[in-house]
Amino acid sequence: MSIFENKKDSIETYRIIVFLSPFLILLFFAFLQILNLSYFNSDIYKTQSDSNRLYQSKIAPQRGFIFDTKNTLLVENNIQQDLEINPSFIENPRVFLKQISDLLDLNFEKIESDFYVRATGKSSQEPYILIKDLNEQQIAKLSVNLKKIKGAEIVSSFSRNVIHKDIMAPVIGYVGNISREDIFNNPELTKFKSLKIGKTGVEKDFDSILRGNMGYRIQERDSYGKLIRNISIEPPLKGKDLKLSIDLDLQKKLFSDFKGRKGALVAIEPRTGLIRALISSPTYDPNLLNSINDYEEVKSLFADKDSPLFNRALSGQYPPASTLKPFVGMAALEAETISWEKRIVDSGEYYVEGDDRPYKGWKEGGHGNVDMKKAIVESSDVYFYALAYDLTINNLSPFLEKFGYGKQSGLTENEAKGILPSRKWKLGYIGEAWFKGDTINMGIGQGYITATPIQIALAYATLANRGEIVKPRIIEKIGGVSTEKVSNLNISLSDNQNWKRIEEALLGVVEASNGTANNIYDRNIRIAGKTGTAQVKSIGETEYKFLREDESLRDHALFVGYGPVEDPKLVVVAIIENGESGSTVAAPLVRKAINLYSKNEK
Amino acid sequence: MKNNPLSFSVNLKIDKISSNTPQFDYWILFSVIFLCSFGLAMIYSSSNSLEMTIRQGTYFFLGLLGMLLLAFSNFRKMEVFYLHSFWPAFFLLIIVLFFPSENSKTSRWIDLGFFTFQPSELMRFILPISAASFLTKNLKTKMKDMWFVIFVTLICFYLVAIQPDLGTSIIILLAGLLPVIISGFPWIYIFFGGFLVTLSLPLIWISLYDYQKQRILTLFNPEADVYGAGWNIVQSKIAVGSGGLFGKGFLNGSQSQLNFIPESHSDFIFSVIAEEFGLLGISILFFIYGILIYRLLMVSFYSSNKFAKIVSGTLSIILLAYISINISMVIGLLPVVGMPLPFLSQGGTALIVNLLTIGIILSLRKEV
Repeated sequence: MSIFENKKDSIETYRIIVFLSPFLILLFFAFLQILNLSYFNSDIYKTQSDSNRLYQSKIAPQRGFIFDTKNTLLVENNIQQDLEINPSFIENPRVFLKQISDLLDLNFEKIESDFYVRATGKSSQEPYILIKDLNEQQIAKLSVNLKKIKGAEIVSSFSRNVIHKDIMAPVIGYVGNISREDIFNNPELTKFKSLKIGKTGVEKDFDSILRGNMGYRIQERDSYGKLIRNISIEPPLKGKDLKLSIDLDLQKKLFSDFKGRKGALVAIEPRTGLIRALISSPTYDPNLLNSINDYEEVKSLFADKDSPLFNRALSGQYPPASTLKPFVGMAALEAETISWEKRIVDSGEYYVEGDDRPYKGWKEGGHGNVDMKKAIVESSDVYFYALAYDLTINNLSPFLEKFGYGKQSGLTENEAKGILPSRKWKLGYIGEAWFKGDTINMGIGQGYITATPIQIALAYATLANRGEIVKPRIIEKIGGVSTEKVSNLNISLSDNQNWKRIEEALLGVVEASNGTANNIYDRNIRIAGKTGTAQVKSIGETEYKFLREDESLRDHALFVGYGPVEDPKLVVVAIIENGESGSTVAAPLVRKAINLYSKNEK
Repeated sequence: MKNNPLSFSVNLKIDKISSNTPQFDYWILFSVIFLCSFGLAMIYSSSNSLEMTIRQGTYFFLGLLGMLLLAFSNFRKMEVFYLHSFWPAFFLLIIVLFFPSENSKTSRWIDLGFFTFQPSELMRFILPISAASFLTKNLKTKMKDMWFVIFVTLICFYLVAIQPDLGTSIIILLAGLLPVIISGFPWIYIFFGGFLVTLSLPLIWISLYDYQKQRILTLFNPEADVYGAGWNIVQSKIAVGSGGLFGKGFLNGSQSQLNFIPESHSDFIFSVIAEEFGLLGISILFFIYGILIYRLLMVSFYSSNKFAKIVSGTLSIILLAYISINISMVIGLLPVVGMPLPFLSQGGTALIVNLLTIGIILSLRKEV
């Protein structure tokens, strides 16, 4: 019995087969397609299936801690909770952002603009932090409602906290987001993109040590972005801790004496190069910048005319003024253009032959008959005018360069060089030939010459070391390993007695009754030092009295000293901007620093 | 006709179904039970909802009861009932346009409080049966009756199309026209009709809703809009492809378990099967479907009764249409139209209607 045996019935059977066949053919093609998908191209689809569900994300490392020399914690990390969003799971941004802003009681427009700023970026599909540092109430609300909101998650992160805020700010610096420029300069930073890196201070100079290393995690997530499980985790590596040479107690006590005045102080151990205090005033709260969300919040900090973010101790360039005199004297002794005992008459004014323009000393009527010791003790200007004139710039500049003037100290790359003028320098930068008058001004540390506080401190440290040049350091230990003292070439004088002679004169500044810093005399701890009064503007006597009224045009007060003289423990330089007289405002700071430090050492 | 290619395979089964004593086709019964049970397992895997699985299990149980009841009924006595059951179904199809369930965007559902169902599903079940009954009321089918059935079918098609439910409306068209065609509608008119449809294709395109157009466009380039209209197709292709030869294992398909495939428990259940059981599982599924359709066709081919031939033939073709269109749609060969996979996809009305269809065909078997 065959299907078509009965002719009468065959028409239905025939039609059924005809109309069945298109679907059989369709099914045949479907099977071919399935074969194509799950046999020939299975690997491609397996990969796609994995990339669908598997997410690799980075785990931020904890930044290294920073301690002071006595192991007092200076910088720590606070854990904060942030709201992270994953744009690829957000279906309707407006609805999503509305939900979030209602839930957290935040301004919708603000969130929306943040969202769109980010959404137009190149990596717009990557997860990122939308709202930082949620408070407890927000976290509570979120953890209840987050299940309903697709594409949002609470994640924890670290925020940098400088414990003593403004006191340590110039040393520590602050951290900030990685900029395009940062990546251009250091492509390795690409993988740390979500982190903050040091922008200034120790945070910047030792960033690669503090930073640590990224961890990675592979997670399985469903199509709503909900975490199913962690597939694998490579934990992050915490950054190494740093131990600074800074003595927090010393720093604190000296800082409070600045009372908000503009200025700087550097205290350095001459034997080791370790910096024990480094102050720049006024200063700022680095935590404001560490947790900055947008520039508007800290705009005033950048616009402040007193420049609190500017590190005066490392980058403030001041005329060294009379603090330069001992080096000018030494240069003259070395060049043998004068002898230690030679006396010069200081009548209060100095004239160059063939020129009737007077170079005035600070003391009207002059200091009378002065030798080098007296000239340093009383800070005679006329003596050093004469000295410099005879010495000439060709001898003076190279000698000062040995002591570090005009060069970076080597503490960090981000400090100023100051200006050590020479004939070549003036021709290049000013476009004029060098005049004899320029040399005369330089004899008393005025004119074109400028130096940073740390340069002055190092020059005196070399003096205290009798010629041994020590590289400054601010880090004592990196991750428990001590840093080494670095000495450069030593300076040798033709007559070694000259070290002793200059020191004697500097002792006289403090200890002689006619010394300019006699006010800080203390026979228990002997200090050798030198005052300085840096003129803000070269001005004549008559204008001077009038201009004193304007505080910003008053002279800068300087004092640099070291002690105890028998075995110098500390070199301290203090500068108070517009402080007028070095002996009254700057010298007591130096005395206090050395006294505090000596007591501490015992 | 000794050289007919079908004759060999047909002859194998002859002695079993050629007997005149009423008996049961266990091949059909067991393949249906297998498919439904497998469907329940897959619904559980893709929805992870025991509640949904139990509900579907209940429909399966009810449908199975109805199927057996119909299978043991005398279809000759039922014919009158089948003929007139068109009118209540037609009535419901109109009612649903005015009183649709409030829980749905489209007006496909009627909510009876304890039970919601789709009149269009009911119609695609009743239309071929009543049409076959109507066409065979005289010994020789009259052309007038054929035209009447075509007319009524087009009205039903229109009513379902405006719900809107493109997939089911096409099935309704098949369900109404196939009995006419099978019972011998002249070829000349069939070709002419086909020609008319081809001509009116642009018109049909214009009358489509935007989302329907989008689905058709998406078919040609699903990757163009991975997160939008192309999502379903892209994700289900990934599911099928990543299943490979042996699949990822029951409850282990990441595409379905992690909700990358929308509607994975209803229209896209095939992709879940492919992902979790691979090419091997699909081949077994094809084999079971093959047995079922083969046995259903045999009922038609060996029945001496014209009504039985038309009904079982039409229902077999519709079943195959559902299977082939659903699978083609899931793997990106056809646009996404709402068409479930028979016996497997979640959905109460469709399951019960499919089972009742089988019940009727089983009852026709006795006439062989």
